[in-house]
Amino acid sequence: MTSRLVVTPRAKPSMTVRAGVPFVALLVALGLGAVILGLTGAAPLTVYRTMFDASLNGARAIERTLTYATPLILTGLAAAVAFRMKAYNIGAEGQLFLGAIAASGLALQLPAGTPAVLMVGAMLLGGALAGALWAGFAAVPRAFLGTDEIITTLMLNFVALALMNYLIFGSFSFWRDPTRPVPQGNTIPDSAAMPVISGRLHVGFAIAVALAVLLWWVLRNTTFGFRVRTIGDSPRAARYAGIGVPFATLAVLAISGALAGVAGAIEVSGVTNRLDPKSLAIELGYTGIVIAAVARLNPLGVVPVAIFLAAIATAGGSMQSIGVRVEVVVMMQGLIFLSVTAGEFFVTNRIGLRPAGPPEPAVTAAAADALEGAS
Amino acid sequence: MAVRQGVDGVGGEADPVALAGGPPVSLRVDRISKSFYGVAAVDDVSVELHGGEIHGLLGENGAGKSTLCSMLVGLYRPDSGRIVLDGDEVHLRSPDDAAALGIGMVYQHFRLVESFTVAENIMLGRGTAGGRRARRAVEEQVDALASEYGLAVHPGAPVWQLSVGERQRVEILKQLSRGARVLILDEPTAVLAPHEADRLFDAVRLMVDKGHAVVLVSHKMQEILGHTDRVTVLRAGRHAGTGATASLTPAALNTMMFGNDLAGTDTTEGHTAQVPGEPVLTVSGLTVTGDHGRPAVDDVSLTVRRREIVGIAGVAGNGQRELHETIAGLRSPATGTVTTAALAYVPEDRLGTGLAPGLPIEHNLALRSFRREPHARRGVLRHRAMRETATALVDAFDVRGARDGMPVSFMSGGNLQKAILARELSEAHDVLVAAAPTRGLDIAAAEAVRRHLRSERDEGRGVLLFSEDLGEVLELSDRILVMFQGRLVGEFDRGSVDLDQVGLLMTGAAE
Ligand SMILES: Nc1ncnc2c1ncn2[C@@H]1O[C@H](COP(=O)(O)OP(=O)(O)OP(=O)(O)O)[C@@H](O)[C@H]1O
Ligand SMILES: [Mg+2]
Repeated sequence: MTSRLVVTPRAKPSMTVRAGVPFVALLVALGLGAVILGLTGAAPLTVYRTMFDASLNGARAIERTLTYATPLILTGLAAAVAFRMKAYNIGAEGQLFLGAIAASGLALQLPAGTPAVLMVGAMLLGGALAGALWAGFAAVPRAFLGTDEIITTLMLNFVALALMNYLIFGSFSFWRDPTRPVPQGNTIPDSAAMPVISGRLHVGFAIAVALAVLLWWVLRNTTFGFRVRTIGDSPRAARYAGIGVPFATLAVLAISGALAGVAGAIEVSGVTNRLDPKSLAIELGYTGIVIAAVARLNPLGVVPVAIFLAAIATAGGSMQSIGVRVEVVVMMQGLIFLSVTAGEFFVTNRIGLRPAGPPEPAVTAAAADALEGAS
Repeated sequence: MAVRQGVDGVGGEADPVALAGGPPVSLRVDRISKSFYGVAAVDDVSVELHGGEIHGLLGENGAGKSTLCSMLVGLYRPDSGRIVLDGDEVHLRSPDDAAALGIGMVYQHFRLVESFTVAENIMLGRGTAGGRRARRAVEEQVDALASEYGLAVHPGAPVWQLSVGERQRVEILKQLSRGARVLILDEPTAVLAPHEADRLFDAVRLMVDKGHAVVLVSHKMQEILGHTDRVTVLRAGRHAGTGATASLTPAALNTMMFGNDLAGTDTTEGHTAQVPGEPVLTVSGLTVTGDHGRPAVDDVSLTVRRREIVGIAGVAGNGQRELHETIAGLRSPATGTVTTAALAYVPEDRLGTGLAPGLPIEHNLALRSFRREPHARRGVLRHRAMRETATALVDAFDVRGARDGMPVSFMSGGNLQKAILARELSEAHDVLVAAAPTRGLDIAAAEAVRRHLRSERDEGRGVLLFSEDLGEVLELSDRILVMFQGRLVGEFDRGSVDLDQVGLLMTGAAE
């Protein structure tokens, strides 16, 4: 008798499946990774131990991972909210730079004696505004002329990077530390530093998580969220329902830019303490797009995905430190990330073997009545 | 996994000429089932199709007709059961598999590339290189098939220039040229003028006489009774029966379709006389540019008053769509004005315009009212109220197949239509613009919609009805306007309609 694979979507995946599948996928990835590591001459168990120690084992490691995850959560949210409405803002990278420029500028400009709450608050606000404004350059033409925002936001990334580099490396700007011969950003006053939760982990992480929850709530429970979801699904249906598509596009892209801008502000305030192009231009914005995609554009999903990615990143750094070649590190990172994201398929679909031969009354009359009963 | 593909000797492209002379085809479906999200759409159905017959497929909305047909052309794979073609079990993994075996389907929503010519569309998906020689060969083949079956089309014409009827012919020729011996037509006449439908059935009869088998999905009882040889009825996914058409009466079919519950059918209440009130919709001097830069609506003026139904008769594609979309504010006019009181609108395009396909029913039913109490208060949605509204509307309009949180795109065509009507009619409005509101509805549901339209009128609102179904327009309307090539070419009052004249005007033959 022949049998064949049958793929059916799960209506609602159970909790066991939700939690179990990523775990199994991780084990599969580690198994495959062990083979690769073995082939390259490294001892898999030692490597895995190092990875685990660096990213997850102990307070220091967890602090490092969560700190690294903070900007990723925000750029992930930036992408998620825009993509939700099919506004493809891939400019979080540049919007983050603008947020960092504005935040560091404010920190240097405001009197150093300003209370920390006001100072940091002003930086976050300034960063958000700058990011929103930068997104606005792409949002206005998109909303009113239908210009392709993928191209404009991408171009604006290059402009933003050039601007940031110019401020530090290309000029003696207000942002640059005049006392040093080597170009470097001016250090912001202590009152501009983000308060700390524990060790290296700063309050920015809590802000990012709070924003994720807020965004999730707004999209789900407000009329604004209703508009966004409708437009994202079908702009024609939205127009038909009298929803102002241009205005919503503007608003969503501004929110998206603001989130990326806040990421920049938080990095300056919590990590770099100056406008530091080298540590800001590490593709946090682009990584956010990947995170949003894996999280299926769900703001709540963005948080664990960003943390997971941050853990892989910090683990990768530690591998290099024990002599694993960088190519192998990248391969391992890719392997883990791919397996876990591919596992999603099994969360949302049920795979089963069914005999192709004799029929089986798979569905009973009761189920058919349920079809009617559903009305 | 043992999947057998292709019947011996018929690998890849079948040669239609060789097949035409072959033995009649036989396709057997053996205890086939398919469920979605654990609910059976098709449940243990067995049917046999013979070459030489037109086989009608009947059933109320959501009965599983489209799902069954989709399995026959490899679009869905059955959960269990067998498909047996000419004595051999076949496993269809895609429509291409089915096409290679000579099974083809013409969907209700055509799948043609607008900017391509007829010949290019027919070549598409055949995997043959598109050289000039190949194109010539295809054009000759299309011409030959077209004259053989009386399905005239010009192979070099771009599809966007064609009328709906012509497009359908292209779809049929496409399947025939790929060697289809089993042809499935899903509600083919829903968009045709009466004489076009007659021509279609002539062609179908020719195919059948050559040994082909044709499946005709239809909600129109007359069509089923007048043109099929045998009929299969589905009910809630299950096989309710199959019989020779000659031995069946409309009453018997109704019982098979709806069970003993015949409520809702045959309750055509009389058309009570009403005195129209003040105008609620005024269109004057309206000209609209269509998608291809041609004027699609050409200097149209009309008025709809309270307590009247104005019907617009016309063959699909003569500017009706552009006209009602402009009235609804989805397009902007080139010249002219539209003045309207509060408007409810049932668009032609259900998924995408009328409904957001990826969102669940409670979201879609609140599409117009989500800003207001009780669905929202100070910008915050009240999900509970939205669900309650949805439940009430689903009940009142008998919308079936909706499931909690499930995207509406998974619902059957007829039920989508009911959902839109439910929402539009539940909103406060003075005038209803309805485009093909009964298209795709089963007999009972269509009658329910007609009742709704009449009560709209009797309750003092105005109705502007667009329909390709001339019978429906005549039955419902107080005034009938005929639309041809973007212009209104005739106006008749109920009671003084000259049927022949309307038919001629619809096709431009009256000039
Ligand atoms: N892809 C799908 N996912 C989930 N449910 C589906 C899917 N396709 C169909 N269904 C469900 O299966 C049932 C049968 O649908 P189907 O489209 O076959 O009905 P139908 O007989 O063609 O109805 P209609 O006359 O309204 O077109 C419906 O309840 C529908 O909601
Ligand atoms: Mg159908």
